[in-house]
Order: sequence, then structure tokens, then C-alpha cells
Amino acid sequence: MTDQPSLADAGADNARASQSRIGSRLPVLTATAASILLGAACTAWSAIPDQGTTGAAFLLFLIIVCVVGSALRLSLGWIPLSEETYLMGAPLRAWLSFLRFIRVPPWEEGAAITIIWLELLHRSRPWHTAVLGAALIAYLIAVHLAETGSTPAALRPQVPALAVGACLLALGAGAGMLHPAAAGAGSALLRVVAAVAVIVAAGLVLPYVSTRSRR
Amino acid sequence: MPPASPDSKQVEHLVRWRLSRHARRLLTLALAAVIAALVQRRPEFLGLAAPALLLLAAGRGVRPATVTITVKPSTTRAFEREIVALDAAATGATGLDVRWTLRPGKGVDLVRTGSADGAEVRLLVSPDHWGRREFGTVEMVLRDRWRLTEGHVDITLPRFNCYPHPAEQDTRVVLSRLPNRLGEHSARTWGEGSEFFGIREYVPGDRQRSINWAASTRRGRLQVNTFAAERSQDVVLLADATSDVGEPGSSALDLALRGSAAAARAYLQARDRVGVVTYQWGGADWLAPGLGKRQVYKIIETMLASDSGWSRGASFRKLPRAALPPGALVIVFSPLLDQRFVEALRDMRERGFTMLIVDVLNVEPPARPRVTDRLARRIWKMEQEAIRFSLRELGIPVVRWNGTDPLDLPLAPYTRRPLMHAGSRR
Repeated sequence: MTDQPSLADAGADNARASQSRIGSRLPVLTATAASILLGAACTAWSAIPDQGTTGAAFLLFLIIVCVVGSALRLSLGWIPLSEETYLMGAPLRAWLSFLRFIRVPPWEEGAAITIIWLELLHRSRPWHTAVLGAALIAYLIAVHLAETGSTPAALRPQVPALAVGACLLALGAGAGMLHPAAAGAGSALLRVVAAVAVIVAAGLVLPYVSTRSRR
Repeated sequence: MPPASPDSKQVEHLVRWRLSRHARRLLTLALAAVIAALVQRRPEFLGLAAPALLLLAAGRGVRPATVTITVKPSTTRAFEREIVALDAAATGATGLDVRWTLRPGKGVDLVRTGSADGAEVRLLVSPDHWGRREFGTVEMVLRDRWRLTEGHVDITLPRFNCYPHPAEQDTRVVLSRLPNRLGEHSARTWGEGSEFFGIREYVPGDRQRSINWAASTRRGRLQVNTFAAERSQDVVLLADATSDVGEPGSSALDLALRGSAAAARAYLQARDRVGVVTYQWGGADWLAPGLGKRQVYKIIETMLASDSGWSRGASFRKLPRAALPPGALVIVFSPLLDQRFVEALRDMRERGFTMLIVDVLNVEPPARPRVTDRLARRIWKMEQEAIRFSLRELGIPVVRWNGTDPLDLPLAPYTRRPLMHAGSRR
């Protein structure tokens, strides 16, 4: 055929493709593994110490379901779904239904909400919560990298914002460690409002300071 | 979704922008943490929400309303299992990450992973079965630098023809009597060819260089070498599309088309005129014998176009003379399952056509233990043998081809010497 690339070229492309197939999947595999580990770490971090209540146990169950669902979605997301299942056997059809199902629910959102909820059940422990916040952000970033197949280099523009975010996280933890000025319902709320003000102020100032220091 | 043009025209596409899943997750985390902080009055949760809020607030990127996309297939026709490249390029997406995802159409396989990143990419696909195929659709996803919004564009790729992969055939069956037309086959008459034919006595006007001095010395008179004439023949390929039995990919019809494609290529390389008749339910499509490389593609396209072309009842008597020229070699690819087709072959033989049947039936009814099943299977086999025997009795050679071996193997007994013309004495 006149407008056809030569078979030699095509063969070479094919050979290169088979060689680079594993290489091209490596960032996805790494990010998937990282997200699974971070999900497990967040779960464990928010669960300890054990509350011993039914509510906490139920929340822990929900977190595990969400994190496992997310891990399955990321691990099995590359499998193409056939639309024609009429001639397939029952086991294969059930497998495809399972694959289709795990792609639908927002597992990570569910995991984030339930992890925060479980953390709320514990008494105030600001630095513990700050570490959990950092791990949750890392978890969500790893999930994003795994599902888009991007390398961490794609997130380079976000590094300054993440650095500032880490400072705000520390600031929030510090605010949480301050004791209330006086007993009463208004005192705690005042503490929250003050923390909001500090965090917002820092959020406005820190990027400016970091930009100046780079200059 | 506007279809991509096969001739690489640039088409401007509207981009559908929406919040990315990453942004939705960050938003969920931030809202959950803020609500927790306000409800439980615990400021450390505000710190937890801060990085996510900061990322959401800081993310500002270019979001063009339209992008210009070019998707160019390397060809609009390919053989089975041949690799076809799709070159995709996007302009107007500066500062954005571009990801292409190809969803191949039915019967088309991805050679490599179906996704690629970059403004200009090459995706490879390979059709696995002949027919009119669709490349599928390409989804282009644009992501801003902060990964908070995604722009989606779907492009429907054009259709293309996938031709059956021709079998191997290097040798050719040649008729004993060839029409008086210049070609490459040595005829049984002397002429201006290059193959030695015989010796005759010198007559004035003969070339001096053709004198055979050894024979002249022996006989005492001048003798000259004569050479065989070189002629071409008309070949009509008859593909039986009435029954398609067997495993998909190696069914009787698959083998018939691959064998016909191989024969067309082999005979056209020898400068023969090759035509095709496709016999199917309710009619026959045909292409008059012709010469040249393009004729291979015309023949294959005629075989693939089952619903178009000439269709006037299931009898070869109604085919025009151009479709079946007198004296043509007719090569039939058929599983010989349709009795009407077998009758049509007998009819053609009685009309004086020289024929050769390539039997492409490679399956049998399943062997089951029940007596009636075994009996039915035995009767079926005897019927099949009877059909082939009756055709051989009429002087039509029937050879069996399994589709994996080169076609030269079953045709070998007939390619070593010329095939006797119908009506000739063997």
C-alpha cells in the first residue's frame, strides 16, 4: 500500500512498545503502591489509640472499606471493560460487574470524611491531627498521580503552595495547643475564630514572603 | 462529536471544562475539616483544611474554550494484524498537560497502551479481523498546571477497510491452452519466449544466432532452436460466501477470502488478468478480470462489499460474459456445503470452464457418544465425500487447504505441469 508505513517501521515500533510497556506502567505502579500505603497509614494513624466504642469501630470499618475500594479501583483500573457481555459466562460477567462497580463510588472522598470523623472522636491532640492532615494530602496526591498516570514532576508548580500549606498546618496545630483563656462555650469558639484569623493571615503573607526570599 | 477527517485536516473542537476528581477530593477534605473545626471547636482541624484550601485557592490556569486537533491515520486500509499508526496533535493547548486515550473500535486491538501524554503523540492499533472497521474514539483530556480542572474533547475516528491477510502462494496453476495474449507463462506453441521449445530446419529469414550448431553438425543440415511462446491467462476466483463455518478467524469464509487474496496477488504478479465472483445467498458480486497492482485491492474490496454491486439471482448463467470470459481458469474457494453452489459448479463445468476447487472446510460435526449422533456424523461425512467424488468424476480437481500451510502445498500437483483444458484428453 502506498500510504502505509513500512512493515519494518511498524515492527520496530512494536518491539519498542513491548520493551517500554513495563517502563510506561512504572509511575502508575509506584503511585498506586504509595497511595495504598498512605491510605493504610492514615487509617492506622486515625484509629490509634483504640476508642473501644461501637461508633469508632463502625467508622474504622467504613474507612477500611473506602481505602480498600480505592486501592482496588487504582489497581484494577487499567483493565478494559467489554461492553458485550451477552456471550460471556456467569463468572466473567460477575467479574466485569465488580470491575464496573468499583469504579463508581467516590472511595477517597469517603475515606477522607470518615478519617476526619474518627479523628474527631479522639480527645484533642493537635500534632497528631497535623501529621494526619499531611498524610491525607499526600494520600490524595498519590491517588491523583496513580489515576492519571502522571509522574511526581507534574506537581512541581504546586510545591510552593504545598510548602505554605505545611506551614499553615503547623500553625493550626499550634493554635490547637493553646489553652482557652477562660472557661465557657464562647471561649472555645473564640479560639477557633482566632485560629481562622491567624491561618488566613499567614496564608496571605507566606506566599509573599516566600516569593521575596526567592528573589 | 465531529469525525476526524482521514486527510489530516485541522478541526477546532469545543472543550468541556469541569472540576477534576483531584479538586473534588481536596474540596471534600477541606469542607469536612472546616465543619469539624467549627462544630467541635477544635482549631487544629482548620490547619488540616488549610493546605487543601490553599491549593484550591491558588490554582488558576489557562482554560481555552477551543483547541485545534489533528488526528491522522497512517492509512485508510490495512491487512489483518498490520500495525496502523494514528498521529494526533493538538494546538492551542499551551501550558496545559495533554493526555490522549484511544478507545479502539470493534475488531481493533491496541498495540501498546492506549494512552499517551503530550501535544503530539502516536498511537498504534492493529485490526485483528477483516472487514469494514472503525478505529474507535480518541478522548483528549487537558489538565491545568494545578490539576484542578479538566477539559474533555472526544473525537470519532474514521472507518477503514481491513483486508484479509493473504496466504502464501508463489506457484501458479497454468492452463494447457492459453489465449493469444502476451504474458509470462510458457505456452505449448513456439514463439518469441525464452524457454527452449524444440529444433527445426533452418529457413531463410531465421536469425543466425538461433542456429543450433551441434544439431546442424549431427544432421548435416542447418537446424535452429525454437522457443516457447509466452502467454497470459484469464483467472476467475470464485469465493463461496454462502456458508461460514468454523472458528472465527479461521472459518471457511476467512480461508476463502485469504486464499482468494493470495491467488489474486500471485496471478497478477505473473501478469495474468484476474477477476473475482463472490457467490452468496441471493446473488453474486463480480469484478471483470483485469491487470495491475490495483486489481488486488479491487478484488478484495469486491469480496468485502457483500451488499453492493451486481446481484441478479444465484445462477452463473446470468453473469455477463465479462465476469466469466471463455477459456478462463476458475479457481474456487469453497467448503462445498451448499448444494446449490455445487450444482452451479457442475453447470459451469458443463459449459466448458476449466476449474480447480480449493476445499476450505476444516470442521466436522462434533463427535458425540449417542448412536444416532454418530450415525448422523457418518452420513454427513459420506455425503461430503460423495460431493467431492462427483466433482472429481467431472474432471474438477478438489484440493484441501487448512489455511495455515502455504497454498503452494495443496496446489503442487497442478502447478508442476499445465492443467488440461476442459474437454481436452488427458
